[in-house]
Amino acid sequence: MMRNHFGNISLGSFLPAIRRVTLAAVMLSLALPAAAVINTGTDAEAELPYWEVVEHGVSIRLVQRLPDQTRGFFQARGFSIADSELIAQSCVFQTVFKNLAPPSDPGVIEYNLDEWIVHAGGAQRRMKTREDWQKEWTARRAPKAAQLAFEWGLIPTRQTYRPGDYNWGLSVFNLAPGTPFDLDVVWRQGGERRSARLKGVVCAPDIHVSPAAP
Amino acid sequence: MKTLIRSFLRCTMLVSWFVLCAAQAAGNDAAQTLSPLPKPFAAPDFTLQGEDGKTYRLSDYRGKVVVLNFWATWCPPCRYEMPSMERAHKKLQGEKIVLLAINVGESEDGVFEFTGQYPVTFPLLLDTEGAIIRKYPVIGLPTTFVIDPRGVVTYRAVGGREWDDEQLLAQLRKLLKP
Repeated sequence: MMRNHFGNISLGSFLPAIRRVTLAAVMLSLALPAAAVINTGTDAEAELPYWEVVEHGVSIRLVQRLPDQTRGFFQARGFSIADSELIAQSCVFQTVFKNLAPPSDPGVIEYNLDEWIVHAGGAQRRMKTREDWQKEWTARRAPKAAQLAFEWGLIPTRQTYRPGDYNWGLSVFNLAPGTPFDLDVVWRQGGERRSARLKGVVCAPDIHVSPAAP
Repeated sequence: MKTLIRSFLRCTMLVSWFVLCAAQAAGNDAAQTLSPLPKPFAAPDFTLQGEDGKTYRLSDYRGKVVVLNFWATWCPPCRYEMPSMERAHKKLQGEKIVLLAINVGESEDGVFEFTGQYPVTFPLLLDTEGAIIRKYPVIGLPTTFVIDPRGVVTYRAVGGREWDDEQLLAQLRKLLKP
């Protein structure tokens, strides 16, 4: 016999109900996709901070990229110093988007960067995509070879991933170096809209290392 | 009662944790598979110069399975999958399956320099103007298409793969069977 605020009630009378509730919770946990897990840390390869969403069958990781890395990369691809500087000052991340579903799972994942929202300084904005940059490079008369590298270097604006598919690509947030922001990432999985918020993402600071004085 | 509630919560948390771990474990074991295209299409023909100075025409490979890869030296997953493509190329010697890797937008010198670090013996073709990649439905690099012996694109892989994986090779060999 157990005494509690319900009075004298035998434990046995509760057990069937508890069993049913537990079973329902277990079934619900299995039926619903696991909630998105947000990870942050230092990317082992880049040795720079990353922010990551991991959910059943999906992984989206943003790895900081130093403005100097971006300058060097785009100058080597034929951009002028001024154009490379424009990109370097625009908050660039390496983005890795993966469909982690096993081959037996027909799950198709789609996204459209136009649906992703950047929250910074109390304002909301969208990302600067391939199409936005294309107009800019045409106006600035960037060399064709450089434009080609830029186009293929950026994460696609829209993509469809079947199991095992993934992309790496640069994503540009059009913010000043060092700016903190939140990012709403949106994707569709099996036709269903899913989203998660990456909080406290920070654009890499622009560090200029001067030669030490003799 | 508190003990029962605690047990219930523990049980729920344990199940949630198990589901999450299972999802992450599935993710770590990246699928080595090729996705069949919902709408197969005739492979657009092209003629390109190889980094070796030879000229390659896609239609010359009719009757063989062609693994057509679009890549760039600056693309990390393109670099990662290159050694497995070379191993696959060696495994497939004497079979009617060929690999062609089309570099997008880079110079012959740049690709030559790359082969110093990643030696490959299958053809590396140069799409310096990016004209051929636009004929195919490529959205990101690397993307690889598998063309069957009739010249029809049947499979697509977005992102890198372990090309010498036996399951993946079995998918390619299956295309040779009438």
